[in-house]
Amino acid sequence: MKILIVDDDPIVIQSCCRILDAEGFDIHCAGSVEAGEKILAEQDFDLMLTDIKMPGRDGFDMIRRAKNIRPDISILVMTGYLMPETIDEGRRFGVKNYISKPFTPAELVLAIQNM
Amino acid sequence: MALHFIKINSLRFKLIASLIAVSLIIGLISLMVGVNLLYRSVLAEANNRISQDLNVARVIYDERIGTVRLALEISASTPELVKALSSDDRLAVSEVLKGLSGRLKPDFMGVTDSQGHVTLRHGVPDSGKAPFLSINPLVLRVLEQHKTNAGTLVLDHKKLLSENPALAAQAHITVLSQLKNPGRSIAQDTNALVVGAAVPVFSDHRLAGVIYGGFLLNKDTAIVDKIGETVFKNEIYKNRNIGTATIFYNNLRIATSVKNPMGNRALGTVASQEVTRRVLDRGEIWTDRAKVLDDWYITAYEPITDILGQRVGMLYVGVLEAKYSDIRGNAMTVFIAITLVGVIIAIALGWLFTGRIMRPVSYLIRASAEISAGNLSPDIGPISKDDIGQLQRKFLIMIDALKERDKSQKAESEFRLIQSEKQASIGKLAAGVAHEINNPLTAVLTFTHMILRRKDLPDEVRSDLNTVASQTERVRRIVKSLLDFSRQSALAPEPLDVNRLIMDCVHLMENQALIKGVTLSFTGDDDLPSFTLDHNQCQSVLVNMIINALDATSMGGTIDIQTRKAFVDAESGVEISISDTGSGIAPEHMNKLFDPFFTTKEIGKGTGLGLAVSAGIIQRHGGTIKVQSKPKEGTTFTIWLPHKPVNPVPEARVSRKDRP
Repeated sequence: MKILIVDDDPIVIQSCCRILDAEGFDIHCAGSVEAGEKILAEQDFDLMLTDIKMPGRDGFDMIRRAKNIRPDISILVMTGYLMPETIDEGRRFGVKNYISKPFTPAELVLAIQNM
Repeated sequence: MALHFIKINSLRFKLIASLIAVSLIIGLISLMVGVNLLYRSVLAEANNRISQDLNVARVIYDERIGTVRLALEISASTPELVKALSSDDRLAVSEVLKGLSGRLKPDFMGVTDSQGHVTLRHGVPDSGKAPFLSINPLVLRVLEQHKTNAGTLVLDHKKLLSENPALAAQAHITVLSQLKNPGRSIAQDTNALVVGAAVPVFSDHRLAGVIYGGFLLNKDTAIVDKIGETVFKNEIYKNRNIGTATIFYNNLRIATSVKNPMGNRALGTVASQEVTRRVLDRGEIWTDRAKVLDDWYITAYEPITDILGQRVGMLYVGVLEAKYSDIRGNAMTVFIAITLVGVIIAIALGWLFTGRIMRPVSYLIRASAEISAGNLSPDIGPISKDDIGQLQRKFLIMIDALKERDKSQKAESEFRLIQSEKQASIGKLAAGVAHEINNPLTAVLTFTHMILRRKDLPDEVRSDLNTVASQTERVRRIVKSLLDFSRQSALAPEPLDVNRLIMDCVHLMENQALIKGVTLSFTGDDDLPSFTLDHNQCQSVLVNMIINALDATSMGGTIDIQTRKAFVDAESGVEISISDTGSGIAPEHMNKLFDPFFTTKEIGKGTGLGLAVSAGIIQRHGGTIKVQSKPKEGTTFTIWLPHKPVNPVPEARVSRKDRP
């Protein structure tokens, strides 16, 4: 499975890479919406794991662009605090699942497996 | 104040108007009743008196006859007259007559022989002619009956002439018209009404002659003036004699004390038809008011009957009605004056009373206005001693209550303001911090768990790492509740059965209570209406309350939840009380209870945000949360929620831009 991770915080990307690498996924990372868009334009992905709160353009912007480029891509949102509003907005963009930060490796893997 | 009087709806106007009405009604009723009663009794008295007066007049009239009769009878029994008559001694008879007339002063007098030949007449010189037969009815009756005759009789012109030609002239009465042309002469009456007597003179039981005499009533003043003098004492009222007396020949005034407007005796005028008909024709005694000439009199008439039993005239007495009607007028004046005085007193009293009543009331009105404007220490004036004083005292009590309420409301809103400010600032801080912590925590959790996956870890290291992992989990929980607190979400109200909600919460907590050995009971008010509340948030409040209660209560204790309808500031709602028999809250903790991060629980057992979050949720529903506690006895949390649905207003504590 080919996964794109988008987060402005390198330590989160690093953590995700560490967990998902160990599970044997094909991991690509982007530190900003622009970087993520660029990678998506070059390659196809099964899943995008993205943060919501990012400086400048936020996660929903990222999801919209991703869906533009790759309409079939599955979206998993990771957020510091899951609110009903986030879920409502995510539904419009076709977000499949959510996970709250911080999470344990097992919780992340379970979230991906449940997609 | 003058303006107050004009206002028709003002208390003062109404009071004065009713007082005036009362005095007017009483005054007018007493006026009508009093004047009427008075007048009637006076009139009755007057009528009664006039009847008696008439009797006296009749006695005086009869006395006149009696005088003649007595004098003649005495003369008739004197030997001188008997002797003179039997011997036909004219000179001697003349002497007797002279002596008698000197005492009696009759208008006519004479002597006849036993055959009725007039031998001598008083006032007529003896012509020496042959005697003529008397045509005087008195004499004729004596000749017939041989006994004394006395009384009233009518003498026509011829009979008068036969007695004395001068008498005929004196009797002459001019009858005056009373109708179209008052005072105009319309006829002459030559008949005369006389009173007199005739007495037989006996000589040795044989009729020797008759002596007779009498008075002419026409133009006579003796009887009527004597009546005026005896009965009415010649009393004058408004230049008029109060009492009047009249002798009528038929209906013609022939002797009277009634004066016409010129001041002359009203001879020749006639009585009214009504009186004539009733008295003269029917022979009744008449007592009533009647118009005599131009004035009204209270009058009494009775018929005069002559010696033959014929009704030939009337005897009248009357008192001026003006004297009595003036009594009515005077009484009416007095009553009207009393009524007017009553009205004036009513106005004065009304003015005085309303002044006294209204002064404290106006003070209260002004004070009410001041209270409405926010001044809770208005001047209500001196406390009066009457009922208004009670009102004033109650007013003061009300002001105190208002002050008390105002104070507590201020304190409460101040407390709420501080509380929400506290929560808002802490919320913002917490949100920022928590969000920043989440990312590093993710790394800590990830890498700890990744290391723990290694099989070659020494037990000591594994144990340490497990501690790191578990403590990081703890941090995660703290951060989670911090975020819960900071991001208190907007209400999503829905129709809700409060009892059902509580029942669900109780079910949720039953196991935990069972484990702790605490009895958890719920008594719901069956009569509760449906409320509009956020289900999830209210549930979290209740669960939080029950958890707190469970934490505070040791084995064997009870937690009792109750609902009942309750009003707060006249607004209907539901009161939910959660009472435990737990350890209670120390008094010094009571003020901080709803502060964020305030907790009495052991480290790691509570974040200190539960009550703060709960209070926020209740407040956003427009409700209140209160606590009562006694250390070692237990605590009761009382939540009140309004029935009225609240508009879901999101708290501005964390705006959407700041969302984590």
